[in-house]
Parts: sequence; C-alpha cells; structure tokens
Amino acid sequence: MPLPQKGSELRVKIGGAAGLGIKAAGQTLARAFVNAGLEVFDLTEYPSLIRGGHSTYTLRVSPRPISSHVETVDVLIAFDRQTVDKHLDEVIDGGAVIFDPEVTSTDGRLPSRRVRPVPVPLKKFAKEAGGPIMANTVALGAALGLVHFPLDTLAESIAAQFAHKAEEITEQNIAAATVGHGYVSKMAGDFWMKVEGLPDAPRRVLVDGNEAVGLGALAAGIGFYAAYPMTPASSLLHFMAAHERDAGVVVKHTEDELAAMNMVAGAAFTGARSMCATSGGGFALMTEAFGMAGVSESAVVVGVFTRPGPATGMPTWTEQSDLRYVIHAGQGEFPRVVLAPGDQTDAFDLSWKAFNLADQLQTPVIILGDSYLSDNRQSVPYFDLDTVTVDRGKLVSEGDVSDHPDALGEHGDYLRYKVTFDGVSLRVLPGVKGATQLVNSYEHDEYGWGQNGEIAAERTAQNEKRMRKLELARTLVPPPAVFGADTAEADVAVLFFGTTKGPVLEAMRWLEPDGVKVAAMQVVTVWPFPAEEVRQFLGAAKRTVIVEGNYTGQLQGLVREQCLVDTDDTLHRYDGRPFSPEMVYAKLKEVADNG
Amino acid sequence: MVKVADIERALEPTWCPGCGNFNMWKALKEVLEESGMGFEDYAMVWGIGCHGNGADFYRSQGFHGLHGRALPVATGIALSNPELKVIVSMGDGDGYGIGGNHFIHSVRRNIDMMAIYHNNQIYGLTTGQASPTSDQFMKTPSTPGGVVEEPVNPVGVAIAQGATFVARGFAGDVDHLKSLYRQALDHHGFSLVDVYQPCVTWNKINTFKWFRDRVYKLEELDDYDSSDRTMAFETSMSTFHELTCAPDECKIPIGVFYREEESFTYQDGLPQLDRPMWKHAEKPRDISEILKEY
Repeated sequence: MPLPQKGSELRVKIGGAAGLGIKAAGQTLARAFVNAGLEVFDLTEYPSLIRGGHSTYTLRVSPRPISSHVETVDVLIAFDRQTVDKHLDEVIDGGAVIFDPEVTSTDGRLPSRRVRPVPVPLKKFAKEAGGPIMANTVALGAALGLVHFPLDTLAESIAAQFAHKAEEITEQNIAAATVGHGYVSKMAGDFWMKVEGLPDAPRRVLVDGNEAVGLGALAAGIGFYAAYPMTPASSLLHFMAAHERDAGVVVKHTEDELAAMNMVAGAAFTGARSMCATSGGGFALMTEAFGMAGVSESAVVVGVFTRPGPATGMPTWTEQSDLRYVIHAGQGEFPRVVLAPGDQTDAFDLSWKAFNLADQLQTPVIILGDSYLSDNRQSVPYFDLDTVTVDRGKLVSEGDVSDHPDALGEHGDYLRYKVTFDGVSLRVLPGVKGATQLVNSYEHDEYGWGQNGEIAAERTAQNEKRMRKLELARTLVPPPAVFGADTAEADVAVLFFGTTKGPVLEAMRWLEPDGVKVAAMQVVTVWPFPAEEVRQFLGAAKRTVIVEGNYTGQLQGLVREQCLVDTDDTLHRYDGRPFSPEMVYAKLKEVADNG
Repeated sequence: MVKVADIERALEPTWCPGCGNFNMWKALKEVLEESGMGFEDYAMVWGIGCHGNGADFYRSQGFHGLHGRALPVATGIALSNPELKVIVSMGDGDGYGIGGNHFIHSVRRNIDMMAIYHNNQIYGLTTGQASPTSDQFMKTPSTPGGVVEEPVNPVGVAIAQGATFVARGFAGDVDHLKSLYRQALDHHGFSLVDVYQPCVTWNKINTFKWFRDRVYKLEELDDYDSSDRTMAFETSMSTFHELTCAPDECKIPIGVFYREEESFTYQDGLPQLDRPMWKHAEKPRDISEILKEY
C-alpha cells in the first residue's frame, strides 16, 4: 500500500457502542495533539441511534499537512468485542490493541503475531479515579503512554472539555488519564512508535465543517438563522444557537423546513443576512420557497449537507448525490449560485462569500456540503479574519427613496424590480421612507404588482432580467481551484467537486514518490458551471478521470452537457462511505499506467 | 401618515362584485389610516387565494408569499426587524389547510403580529372546492357526495393552543370589523381575527343573508367575559354550525372571544432583537474571541 512511511504518523481508532462518549473522548485527544502543534483529521462513523449499535472515531495525527482519513490503523482502542472483530484487520503489522480484559473478550483474535495486545484495566482505573464513565479517558492516557507522548496537552484539553462542569470532574478525568498513561508507559514501554509534538508550530484551528460554515456566517454578519434539525446539518443549528446572544443572531428552530426557508425569505426582506441549512430531505421541503426566493429576488443562503438518499436514506453517512438536485431544485427557471467547499478552510471562506454573492446578486446561494465535511474535524491554518469583507451590493438601508431617482417610476414610486443591464435592481429596505414595494412570489412588473406579471412583455422583461444575473454571477463567483502539475505535463488529470478534495490531495502526495504527475481541478462553484475552465483543463490533459461520490456520474453529466467533452475514466462511490486516499491513489495510478 | 387614498394608489380590485373581501379591504384601509402609522412603519404579508390577490390592491411594504406560508414569512420579518408592525392576510384553505402547521405554531409562539383570516368556507380561486372550514355534508366539485369530515374550528384551536387574542368578524358588518381590527392591531402578541367572508360565486349556502340571520355580538352579552379562557373555549364550540340548521337554532358569535392583556411575546424572549438585524452586517463581525474556542 502506498502509505506514508510506517511510523511517520499515528492513526488511532476508538470503537464501541454509541452513548459511551467515544466521539467526545476522541475529540479531546484530537485537541491534545493540535495543542502540541500536530496536524489532525478525524472521522466519526456511527449509526442513527442514541444507545448501542457500533460507533467508531478515527484520528489521524501527523507532523506534516494531511487532508483526509486513511483506511489503516496503528492503535485500536476496543471498548467491546465488536470493535475487535470488525477492525482488527485494519491494524497495521506491528500495531497495537488497547482493551480492558475484564470487558472485552479477545478470544480467538489475540494474541496475534501481527498485533501487540495492550490489556489495561480501564474500568477498574476509572472507578478508582471517580467513576466507570471515565474508562474512555483512561484509554486516552493509555494510548498516549503507548506512543511515548507526554500527558500535559491532554490535561489541557481535558480541562477545556470540562470547563463548564465542576472542577472536580476535570481533576478526576486528569487523574484517570494519568493512571492509564503511567500504567502503559511501564507495561509497554518498549513499543516502537514514538509521537513528538512540534512546539514551534503555528496556531491551528480545529473545527468540523459545520463549525467552519457557522464561523463564516457569523463573520459575514448573519442576523437570522432558521432550521429544523436534520443530520448532518443539526450541529450547525446548535452552533448558531450557542452564539445567538453573544454574537446577536436570531436563531429559530422551526416547526418544519418549509417554515425555515420561508422565514429566511422574510428576514431577507428586512435586510437581515439570513440563512437556513438542512440535508437533502429537508431541502425537498424547502424547494417551493427556494424558488420563491429566486423569483422574489431574495438574498438568502441555504446550506445543503448531503447524506445518502433517497428519502430517509442513511442519516449518518455521506454521499455526493445531491449535485444535480440542488442545481435544478425548484419549478420554473431562476438564477442561483451553488458553492461546494472541499474542506474546513473552504467552508469558512465560501460561507462568508455566499452572503456577499446573495446580496450582490439578490438571489439564493447554496453551500453544498456533505456528512464528511459536516461531521469531521480537521486542523487548518488559523482563519484569516482580515480577508473577510461585507459587500451588500445595491442596497439602501436608511434615508429616503427619493434620494435614488433612478430607482423611481411614475408618481415617484420605488421600483423594486427595475429592469437593469446586469439584472440587479436597487434594493431599498422596508423602513426607508418611500420604500413601498411588493416583493412577490408571483411573476410581477417592476413595482412588484402580480397581476401585471401576466402581461407577456412584463414576464419576458422580468424573466430575462433575473436570468442575466447568472452572467453577472460568472464574474463574481470563486473560480475552480487547481492543484499539482501543469495539466499538459501531467500523466493524469483529475476533476472533482466538494469533499473529494481531501482524499484526492492526499493521494496526489502519495503518487509523488512513484513519479506519477497529477493535475487536479476542484470545481468550487458548481453553478453557474465553469464550463470554459473545465473544458480547457480536460482538453490539455493526456488522461482524464472524474472522482465523485454518486452512482450516476452527476459531475460527469455536467461536463458532458456544459463542455461537450467527456473524461477517459471515472471513480464512483455510493456505499455511504467517503472516498479514501487509498482508493483514489489506486485509480489515479491505474489511469496513468493505462496512458 | 398613511391615507386611504395613498393605500389605494395600487391596482383596481378584481374580486367578484359583492365579494366579502371588499368590506375587509375597506375596514383595514380605514383602520390603518386611523392608526397614525406611516407606510414605513408596517409590513403586510399575503398567502395565496382570492384574498391574496389583495396584495395588488394595497400600496404597502408588502410580501406576497406562497400558498399556506404567509405566517413563516411574516415571522421572519417580525423576528428580524422589531421596528415593523406585521399584518398577515390569509384564507381558510391557505391558513387552516395547507398552512395549518404554521397556524398552530405561530399561535403558541405568541409572535407579536396581526393575522387576518379571510374565511369563506370554500376554495374560491381554484373554483369552488371544499375548504377546511366548509360545513359537513356540503357538496362541492371535490366532494360531490358531501364533505365527510368536521370543519376546523380555528377559534377553538387557537384558544386551546394558548392564543392571547382571538376574535371573529363578519364581513357584512364593517364597523364591527374595524373595531376588531383596531383591537388586534393594538394587541401585544399574536392577534387572530377570523372573518366570515361569504363567497358570492362558489358558496351558495353560507351567504351574507345566512350569516345575518345567525350572527350575534359577544360584547352585547351582559355576562360574557373575554378574559375567561374556559368560557371563550366553550363559546368557540358553537361555531360548529350545521349545514341545514335553522337561524334560531344556530347562532354564531362574533367579537372578541379571548384576550390576555399582558402577554409574553416571542420577541420579548429575544434580547438580541434590539435593532433591525441588518445592522449586524454593516461590516464584518469580529469573531476573534469566538474563534479562540476552536
């Protein structure tokens, strides 16, 4: 396997029943490594239930930049037998399994010639420290002890995790970690792996995709957020609600997604920067109002975070199968922008940019993510807050409409939908003197009157005015991002959108020592589709491949339709799991070799 | 300040001659003029239906939303700009049928806004099908054998759900309707005015005459106490009239059923809603403190 050299990074997998706090414990460990200057990427896999089932948390730690999870594990922490049965084969030769012999039977699997058993009385130590609930904290200490990593950053991280609880809880947890650490340091002090911090590394941000989107929205000056809980978007609702008072945002958990989208349109009417987010099923309920935002020229931002569909589908798993859906959702035709972040940095940047685009274009903007982005944390460079700008486009929020004679019609009435060259009309907020207007879900004339929208010439003028905004959008939206070799010199050119970015970039690093030159293009703005850039990219390449997480080849279909070209090969995945860099590596190598 | 003539600087109404919507239009325009508000002080929201065509007949700061979804649009407005009074127009199919979920939740939230329901017990704009408030056994193109189910009791549902102002009007009595509108506009909280508004084209049973023979005013009763929620709920049950009931057996109360003078509104629970929320987006928000947590 084309892995990074053995021992050059650490992969820890924690497995057990849901409800044991595996994810929280794992995130505490992740924070400890980030505080020590290392890069991390985590992957949480869990069923849609609250207790029982089988959950895992996988943490990848490296002194070098990393951009995805990997398939292999160095240290497995098994809280139950199921974890041993399901994941022992993922452990590399020479890896280790930490388990509590009183709790987890390893009969028939351990001892093994390949893997080092590390039995630790997790439950007993936890009870002695204050309670059996802390068994996972003992295990964290044990894992660090195993790889000769000091305890201090974990202690900091534990203190941060329990900052809002009684001081005693923090002390007990630190004691639990310490005893696990000490026990394993003695018992397995000869273990070959050694992880060291990078004390001079620059400060990193550790966020999941939803937190990154939320931080971007806050920076953009969001004033109203509405949502109905739906995995994997729910944690964005929690994030916004947690900051409603300190940041000054009205956050509404609505009765359904129809209400959320309609409320967001209402809030946009008053000029608040407003957003809702959901997954595919919730977006189906929002779709009529999404179209209303289009025809009424409402500046709204909608997060659609895909999980495998159709219908209820696989709530806690990931897919990239909503690309065509969000591009086409809604009856009739209207302009929209769809942005697809590939990682946490993209998510922050595209989130605040989405609000600017919505205002500049006065039309809905979608942030298209997926569970792989929403649920998983990644260490990324500190967000550059100085780059954030607020551009509200043609907006008048105070004063008197008579100061804007170009926007007035007969009798000095304000024309909300005045036909303009670029399709965008001056938007004067309610509350401004003289700002009477009818914002309308019906087709309408320049003032907004619905009845007049049935006049053929008015319909044509308004329809064309709106659709012209798509041409303006092309000049404003983020262009595709390119990585790796020049296309003409590359052995293989790979095209993708969204979170496939991580595994692709990872695979590209692994191909370097093999001498395979890869050029990659991420379609960042998937609508309006950057047909010219994509056509040039693919046209200049020797061999081309599209990697996308769906069955039907939705990005490939767009390429065929918009660019009138095709690619040599494709790689699909639609089993609910994200692409691994191993899969992408194998595919890129195969395509290059076939060239 | 708003004048009726300025409100009318809009399109000409296209409602059928004799439609109950005309009187509701007249009553609301006059109450808006009396209120002393300026055009910039309030926003109006409409759903879809014959009533919704009224969006074209008022000059206002208005939003003509989707069928059934006027309340959430209005909620978005009310919860993002505390300086705007919000007035919502809905129909019976619009507000109690397709939008029934929003009706229940808007009531229990007690969002400070005024909601007017144009209740003609029929779908007018789609040519005469039964509505959620059609009387049982009424025959319509979508119910040729007669409506099987009980009608929605909007007044009763609202009271049961904790409404703080519930009134019923009749489009045949403009002065009475205006008094209800005035009180609803003044109310601090969600004020619901359900208005019987006969459809002269599709509903040949619940006509102006049919109502005139049956309505009576709650405020004319000596012993009616509109602060008594139980009494209000019991009285709401008499709005379940039967299709064939005789005038003297089937009396329909109009007026203020229930009112809570001091109510805690949804907006009262949002200290952060201390200004129009667009003011948070005049420049990037400084999130450096929040970012430190990550």
